[in-house]
This record gives sequence, structure tokens and C-alpha cells, in this order.
Amino acid sequence: MTGNIAILGYGLSAIGPGVGIGLIFAAYINGVARQPEARGMLQSIAILGFALAEALAIFGLVLAFVFK
Amino acid sequence: MSLNVLGSLASAEGGGFETPTTAEFYQPLLFDGPLAITRPAVVLMLSVGLIAWFLIATTRRAAIVPSKGQWVTEGAYGFIRNGVARDIIGSKDFLRFVPLLFTMFVLILVNNLFGVIPPVQFPTMSRIGIPIALTLVVYVVYHYIGIKRVGLGAYFKHLVPDGLPGWIVPLIFVLEVITFFITRPLTLALRLFGNMFAGHLLLLLFITGGEYMIIHGGIGLKIAGAGSFAMAFVLTIFEILIEFLQAYIFTLLAATYIAGSLSDEH
Amino acid sequence: MQLFTGATQVATLVTAGEAEQLPVLPHWGELIFGVIAFAILYWIVREKVVPRLEKMYADRTAAIEGGMRQAEEAQQEAQAALEQYKAQLAEARVEAARIRAEAQEQGAAIIAELRAQAQAEANRIAEASHKQIEAERAQAIVSLRSEVGRLSTELASRIVGESLQDEVRQSGIVDRFLAELEQGGARPETVGQDA
Repeated sequence: MTGNIAILGYGLSAIGPGVGIGLIFAAYINGVARQPEARGMLQSIAILGFALAEALAIFGLVLAFVFK
Repeated sequence: MSLNVLGSLASAEGGGFETPTTAEFYQPLLFDGPLAITRPAVVLMLSVGLIAWFLIATTRRAAIVPSKGQWVTEGAYGFIRNGVARDIIGSKDFLRFVPLLFTMFVLILVNNLFGVIPPVQFPTMSRIGIPIALTLVVYVVYHYIGIKRVGLGAYFKHLVPDGLPGWIVPLIFVLEVITFFITRPLTLALRLFGNMFAGHLLLLLFITGGEYMIIHGGIGLKIAGAGSFAMAFVLTIFEILIEFLQAYIFTLLAATYIAGSLSDEH
Repeated sequence: MQLFTGATQVATLVTAGEAEQLPVLPHWGELIFGVIAFAILYWIVREKVVPRLEKMYADRTAAIEGGMRQAEEAQQEAQAALEQYKAQLAEARVEAARIRAEAQEQGAAIIAELRAQAQAEANRIAEASHKQIEAERAQAIVSLRSEVGRLSTELASRIVGESLQDEVRQSGIVDRFLAELEQGGARPETVGQDA
């Protein structure tokens, strides 16, 4: 089997953001369930948190391509 | 290449399957070298023409009771104007940045959707040069407003919140500088690029893989090939969702950075 | 940005060598195209699209507010009209009541007047008839008295054979007789005796 070890790096780097994004949306769903009227405000905050957590996974993906 | 693992597996079974590589994305149409006119550049120009035509056509007779086309434009505009610009930047001076954010959103959205719309089927944003160009605009804009508002020295001073103990200030300062000048633009560009790139690569893999299995494989592989196509279909739907989300996130983050430069503290 | 400029050198090296390059390094043509495309679209949006849409928003707000104001005005107008009608109605009612009262008064007055007139007429008629009756009676009494006197004297003269043509004596006798007759004490014998 041939391949690039960097792809494993990407796999590892996806774990943290995966958990983080799950937590963010869990909190978002909880918040909306408790206070449906706060949905609009919570949504942009949740998306913002999602974007920040996702950045780490994207770094992993990019680095997998950078270090051949 | 990084995805050769799958490719070598496939070639071991069927023989001769070429996995889609990152080279798929580099498609020069005219000339060669660093200034070649590439396919994404052409698609980008096409999208600009289309968007400009659509926006001007639907707002030419901007009526109080909207027509169908105007309703679409108005929906997107209202979403960015009220849902992003006004909510994030605040109702005082958001109107200045509405054209910027609206242009960002529409341009990214249409180019992302080009990734799955048949005659084009090339996500422009999977070429990193274009997200970098957009990020460059946001980067220049939010630093420019921040520096113009308080001056260069004060801008750097404002990076560190007041009331911190003395020993921690240099640390925070370094972190904030990294965040402001490196991490923010880098993540902004890479997020858009990475999502579009990975998504398109995934679609390519499922479609070319399915095609190969159906053409060259045995009966079992033919069924797997059909499954692969079904998967490609599901992923296409998922891609559309991601494409909307990424356009929204890019605009949202741009608005957040601008709002940060406008407000007094970070 | 240092990262990108550093990366550029790598990119140019790579692109010089082979057509394929790292996907995370920008292709300069595309980057320039990206900036140009954004600039064009930004200019169009800022100059054309946003002003139009903002104007439309303002128009719409104005239209809605205008509509609301119009509706309010219409409501006020309707309210005013209603009040006017009510006032008119009340006035009409008062007028009608006044007219009715007047009519009643007038009717009562007319009736009273008529009654008075009728009463007066009746009184007059009754009085007149009384007077007439009285007069007739008086007349009848007078004529009867003279008749009775004449007859009785004639009878007496025939019986007595004595002329009682003397007016003064005659009337004296008759009167005396009648007076006795009225007292109830008149007798033929006494008449004969006296005569």
C-alpha cells in the first residue's frame, strides 16, 4: 500500500473540530429548545463558532496537501 | 498524491483506475505559466456578467410590490442587509458596508453553485487564488477602517484589552497580532477554498469511480458503481447546502471583522 | 501576508517546472482575476443595485406609513361623519318631539276653543230659546187674558143682559176675577153675587 502519511494527519486534525462542532450545535439546539425566540441571535453565534472550529480541520486538510 | 491510497486499491482490483487528483483543478485555457487564463478565471468572469445582468435586470423597475426576479434579489439583499450587516455591525453605520457584503455573498454563492450546475460544474472557489483575492479585500477593508478610526499606534494598542496584569500583556499582544494579521485572513480564505476543494474532489471521486466500476467492473462492481452514483447524488445535495453555508459564513465573518474594527474593544 | 509572498516563490518555482502546482498556492492569474471580478461587481452593486433597492425600501416604508396615515385619516373622517350623523339624528329627534308637543298643544287648544265655541253657541241657543219661550208665554198670557176677558164679559153680558161695555169697569171686573181665579177661590156663585 502506498500513500501519504499526511492524510492521516488530516484524519487526526478532523477529530477535534468534529467534536467541537457537535458540541456547538448541541448547545445551539438546547438553546433554541429552551428559548425559541432567541433563534436568530443564537444562529449567527452558532455558525460563527462552527466556522472557527472548522478552521482547524481546514488547516489539517491544507497541510495534508502542502507536505507531500 | 495524497489520494493514491484509494487509487492503488482500485487499481489492484480492476486495474488502471486513475483517481481524480488535485491536478484536475488546474485547467489553463489560454497561455501557460503563472498568468494563464484558466477555466476558473473564465467562470468567474461569466459569473460576474450573469450576476450583474440579473441584479440590474431585476432592480431596473424596483417596484413596491416585487416581481418574481425582484423578489429573489430582494430576498438575498434583505438577508445580507438585515440578517448580517445590521445585526453584526449595528444599525449606526452598517449601510456603508452593505454593498461590500452583498457583493461578497452573491459572488461566492453563485460561484459555489457553479460547482454543481451542469454546464459549468467547476467550483471557482476551489482555486485558492480567488478566495485569497476576496480575503484580501476584507483584510484591507477591516484594517483600513480600524486604523483610520483610531490611528496606527492606537490601533495596535487597542489589540490588547485594558485592565490586564502587566506580565501577560506582551503574550496577549503577540497572540492578537497573530490572530488579526495571520489567522483571520488565512482561515477566511482557506475555509472557503478547503470546503469547495474537498467537496468537489469528493464528487469527482464518486462519479469517476462509479463510472469506472460500471464500465470495467464485474457484476458486483457494477452494483457498487450504481451505489457510488447514488452517493454522488446525495453528496451533491449536501454540497449545495455547504455552498450556501460557506457563502453565508464568509460574509458573516467579514461582517464580524469589520464590526470588530468599528467597535471600541475587541 | 508574508506567508503568501513566501509561498509565491515556491509557486513560481513549481509552475515554472510543471503545469501542476500545489492547490494551496495561489495562481497569480486567478488572484488578479478575482480582485478584478470583485471590483467590477462591487462597483455595479454599489452604483446601481444598492441605491435602487434602498430607494425601494424607503418607498415601501413611505407607502406603508402613508397607507397607515391614510387609513387613520379615513377612520377619523368616518368617526366625524358618524358623530355628525348622530348629532343630526339627535337634533331631528328633538325637533320631532318639539313638533309633536306643539301639535298636541295646538290640538288641545283647538279642541278647547271648539268646545268653548260650542258651549257658547249652545248657551246662546238655549238663552235665545228661553227668551223666545218667555216672550211667547208672555204673549200667550196677554192674549189669553184679553181673550178670556172678552169672552167672559160677552158671556156675562149675555147672561146678565147688562152691558158691560164700559172699558174701565170691564177690565176691573176681569182683573178681579182672574185674581180670584188664581187664588183658587173663584166661584160662579160669588161672581154672580158680586155682579
